[in-house]
Amino acid sequence: MPSLKDIKIQINSVGSTKKITSAMKMVAASKLRRSQEKAEAARPYSSRLEEMLSSLASSAVSGEGIIKLLTGTGNDQNYIVVPVSADRGLCGGFNSSINRETFKLVKSLEGNGKKVQLMPVGKKSRDFFNRVMKDQIIESFVDLNISSTGYDSALNISNKLQELYFDSKFDKCILVFNKFKSAISQEVRQQQLIPLDVSNSEKEEEKDNFSNAIYDYEPDEETILKDLLPKNVSIQIFKVLLESDAGEQGARMAAMDNATRNAGEMIDSLTLKYNRTRQAFITKELIEIISGAESI
Amino acid sequence: MATISFDLVSPENLIFNDDVGTIIVPGKDGDLGILPGHSQVMSSLRPGRVMVYSEDKNLVKSFFVSGGFAEINPEKCIVLAESVVELNSLDKSSIEKEIEELGSNESKESEEQLLIAKAKLEAITVSFYDKI
Repeated sequence: MPSLKDIKIQINSVGSTKKITSAMKMVAASKLRRSQEKAEAARPYSSRLEEMLSSLASSAVSGEGIIKLLTGTGNDQNYIVVPVSADRGLCGGFNSSINRETFKLVKSLEGNGKKVQLMPVGKKSRDFFNRVMKDQIIESFVDLNISSTGYDSALNISNKLQELYFDSKFDKCILVFNKFKSAISQEVRQQQLIPLDVSNSEKEEEKDNFSNAIYDYEPDEETILKDLLPKNVSIQIFKVLLESDAGEQGARMAAMDNATRNAGEMIDSLTLKYNRTRQAFITKELIEIISGAESI
Repeated sequence: MATISFDLVSPENLIFNDDVGTIIVPGKDGDLGILPGHSQVMSSLRPGRVMVYSEDKNLVKSFFVSGGFAEINPEKCIVLAESVVELNSLDKSSIEKEIEELGSNESKESEEQLLIAKAKLEAITVSFYDKI
């Protein structure tokens, strides 16, 4: 049986853990609000770009040069998978679900005889794949800090991907990331980034009166498309990074909320135990005194 | 006189959104002056100045964009640009320094940056379009 002092120490340590988790919850909540605002602010640009792209996509004829970002290389033998995780832990199943899903995807692609390479984004997925599939990692990006560096870090990833793509290092690129559904729930999603999946992006756009009308293109459709496609890759990555950042904060908030609640319950039960033990000691001492007095 | 709604959007946020009289954007093949009722055009942009005027032709705001796209229809003009700065927040000496640094660097990337920086310098030194 633990002594009174042991229980007291335990109560205190759970109490200070509770303080930490509740502070982390507050921090995550305020960061969540900020990330959500960022994600919101990025929406007009990406939706406009997608709209432009889908109206232009039909004009892509041949698979030469930059247009390959849209039409593909004609092969689907080499894949590159980009898992997007957080840099830090303590956010519930956020990172592990990304890693699990990516691992499954890689295995199933390899089962179909494809060659798969990895380009993890975020410390947690880099560390995980460093352990399990070290030789398949070609590049990794960590410490992105998307909420402070913003678009530039997305641009870095996108430039690297395009460089590899035009070196014919891979045929298809798939992003695995956490889609932000609400503050407490995220959903693991896969998105094909290269070649661009136009049918997918078309669904989300809102049509206005003019979107179906015929445009004049300056200088011409192909030139615009060539400018547009690389930008689209960057903006898609940017969107995913923001989404994942918001998801991370949400997941952490939920995880820390749970932890705080659990700590509270633990303190309650420990306090009960403490009081019972104390009472038991008092009773025991009383019995000793009484029986001592009786024997005189 | 009518107005046209104008959006200036960067990846990080919506920078300008209002009904205006005239906009001048730096199209790839030459500057485009956009008035209400403009025909439908989609254009890519070169690095340069985006000038915004009120209905009575006074300059409201001027921006520098590093390239991007413009989508124009009779009621609305949308400019998508990767980097947008307000013209009067640019500082001449720091741009000159940037040009110098980039000039000594010979990678392909810095070449592009150099073009943008040069366009930036031009944008703050020239004064046409200040009045229309």
